[in-house]
Order: sequence, then structure tokens, then C-alpha cells
Amino acid sequence: MINEKRVKLMTRMAAYEDGEFRRHKAVIGFFRSDYISLQMVKTVIATTIAYAILFGLYLMYDFEKFMKEIYQMDVFQFIKTVVILYLVMLAVFMLITYVVSLYRYNRSLQSTRLYYGNLKKLSQFYQEEE
Amino acid sequence: MSSLLEARETIKQFYGKHGIYVDPVLKFLGALIALLVINGNMGYMELLNNIVIVLVVALMCSFMPRNFIVLVSALFVLLHTYALAVECAIVVFATFLLMFLLYFRFTPKDTKIVLLTPLLFALKVPYVMPVAVGLLGGPISVIAVSCGVAVRFMIRFMKDNFTTFSAQDAETGSQKLRLMIDGIMDNKAMLVTIVAFAITVILVYTIRRLSTDHSWSIAILVGTTTDAVFLLICEFMMDLNFSVLGIIAGSAVSFFLCQIIRFMEFNVDYSRTEMVQFEDDEYYYYVKAVPKVVLAVPEKKVKRINRQLKSKPGKQVRKASTIKTAHGVSRTTTARAENDNKH
Repeated sequence: MINEKRVKLMTRMAAYEDGEFRRHKAVIGFFRSDYISLQMVKTVIATTIAYAILFGLYLMYDFEKFMKEIYQMDVFQFIKTVVILYLVMLAVFMLITYVVSLYRYNRSLQSTRLYYGNLKKLSQFYQEEE
Repeated sequence: MSSLLEARETIKQFYGKHGIYVDPVLKFLGALIALLVINGNMGYMELLNNIVIVLVVALMCSFMPRNFIVLVSALFVLLHTYALAVECAIVVFATFLLMFLLYFRFTPKDTKIVLLTPLLFALKVPYVMPVAVGLLGGPISVIAVSCGVAVRFMIRFMKDNFTTFSAQDAETGSQKLRLMIDGIMDNKAMLVTIVAFAITVILVYTIRRLSTDHSWSIAILVGTTTDAVFLLICEFMMDLNFSVLGIIAGSAVSFFLCQIIRFMEFNVDYSRTEMVQFEDDEYYYYVKAVPKVVLAVPEKKVKRINRQLKSKPGKQVRKASTIKTAHGVSRTTTARAENDNKH
């Protein structure tokens, strides 16, 4: 006879396996600190590229004017401003990444624990049936 | 009302049963509409305007993940822009890349909002987007909606300045680039729309999460009205070249479309609301339970009135012979005669 509770549990687990399980498993494959560090590194790369694009557009916007002014401006001050802006942008995005990664890791851990708990329940059902 | 509920349940059941076939069809249609709208609004590259190419690409999209549609649409926009002017393509590519690196890397699910927002603008009902996002998403999706609005105004700006960008000698490369960047940065209409949509998303999200009765309906009404009023006030104050009739009609249509979303997503019966109160060792709980309106779809049962007996040919002959006997005929005729006499 079909055990209705077992079928419901299996359906729910199968849906989870098909959906988010792979992603969650990949996340909790890391230690928390390692996962967050990896995301931070990715953010550094992405933010650097984004900043380079923005800086490039800024230069290209009025390149002739910039080339004329470059001989008159304080180059060190200009570089200092550019670097400070870069660091501010980097800090903002690293903070966002930290919060998002921490939240994602904890959620993945919870969902996966629930899944393994359900696996135990399932094996208990089978044992009871036997 | 019950027939609508029945239809909703039928759609859900149908999708549940045939989802494996429905999904690719929906993806195909989505990609087809997106690419046709892009070609209709831009269409600077002749090659991409070919319907065969559009169909083949849409067919490819139907077998790929959903975000592939967004990627293909972005590529179409980029190629059309490249055909118009390389400088514009640089700015568009940089904008897409910035959007991806700074936002969509964190929430890949929101990419569809960037695609849908310009599409809804093209279909003249963009005001659905902020209300729908407020109903179905979260406040962080404001960024995705804003990106969608920016993409739409970018495309519009290129369309409006087609002659300037397409002229070979009239403007130098740096001038075209400056014009394009100015067109994005100094676009008041775009900024006003972004602010209006952002306010609407946050307002709708806040109201629909309240525990008051009919919170979703109130959220839709307040969101649509606020959006329309804000845009109209800005139009009268700043002369942004918005269509007043378009805003009013678009908002009215959006209101009804959002009601459909509410009906499909959040349909509850407030008349059967239960207020429950209980406690445990640490807390008192004041719970409001509102039952969902669910209607069981009646199963169609075919009742056969005329039973068809499947019998062997030999037996049929015998049956026929019994019918043809004088007894049967005489019985019926006598019965009829008796009835006639009674009357």
C-alpha cells in the first residue's frame, strides 16, 4: 500500500533536488570563510573592471580637453582622487558582497540540513515498513 | 466568479501536467516577441531584421535557460547599435557590462525585469512593471526596474537622434560619444520615470505586506495612482514631453493587468478570516489566518445513456429475429390501443 506521507516527503525532496539543491551544495562545499573570501575576490575583479569602464568613459567623454589640461593639472592629486574613488567604490561593493554571501551561505546550510533531515525521515519510513 | 476560479485552477492543473511542453513554448514566444520589438524599435542592422534569423534564435532560446533570452536580446540591441554608430555601441556595451558587474551578478533572477521593462514600454503599458515588481518581488528590485527604464530611454534616444548618429561626416567620433553619454546622463524624463517607478515599487511592496484586509488591492490602487499622479505633476512642471493621455490610459490598463496578477497569485477570502490567539512559554501569538479561495475543478464524467452491446454477429441475428416476431409488435400495438381507450 502506498504510504501517503512518504510520497509527499519524497515529492518535496525531489523538487528541492531538481531546483536549488545543486547550488546550495556547491555553496556549502566551502567553509564559510572560504566561500565569503572567494566571493570577495570575485567582487574585487568585477569592481575593478567596472571602475576601469567608468574611468574610460570619463576620459573618452572629453579626451581633447583632458589632454590639454593634463599638462597644467596636479597629476599626483588627480591620481590620488582616482585611487580614493576606486577604494570607496571597492569598499561599498565588498560590504554588499559580505552581507549577501553570509546570508546565502546560512540559507544554503539551513536548506541542506533540512534536506538531510528529510532523508533520515525517509529511511525511517522504509525501516518501519519493513 | 466561480467560473474564473475554475479557469485559474484549470490553467494551474494544465501547467502542472504539461509544464515540460508549455515552458519551451512560452520561452519561444517570449523570445520572439522580445526580438520582434527590438527589431521594430531599432532595426539598424538589416541582417537581424530577417524573420528567419529571428525565428531560429527564438527557437534556440526555447531550449536554453530563461536568462539566455535576456542575453540574446542584449546582443541584438548591441548589434543594432553597432550598425548605427560604433560610439553608441561602446556606451551601450559599457552600460550593460556595468549593470552585470555591479548588480545582476548578485541577483541573476532580476535580469528578466530589465528585459520586460522596455518591452512593456513598447507595448504602451510600462506602469504594470513597478506595481507587479512591488507585488511579486522585493524593494531591492527597484535597481532592476531602474536599469530597465535606463535601457528603454537609451534605445529611445538613439531612435530620436538617428540622423545625427548615422551621419558619417557630420560629427566626429568623440562628439557622438559625448552626445550619447549626455543623452543618458542628462535625460530628465528618464530620471523622473526612474524616481516614479522606484516610489511605486516601494509603496506597493510596503502596503501589500500589511496585515490589513484587501492589502493587495489597496496596494495596486495606491501604486498605480501614485505613479500616474507623480508623472503627470512632473510633466506639467518640467514639460518632459510625456503623453498625458498615454499615462492615464496606460495606468488604467495596468490597473486591470495587476488585478489579474493579484487574482492568479493572491486570492483569499477575507469573509472567512480567523483571528487566533495562543501562547507558549516565551511568547503570546496573535495570528490572523485568511483562507485561500480554492475551487475544485469538476471532473468531466461521460454518462452513457444508450448502452451498446458488443455481441457476436450470430447473436445479433437472433435478437433481430426476436424483435421481428409478431409477439413483440402485437404487444406494443395492444398497449397503445389500451392507452387510446383510456383517453
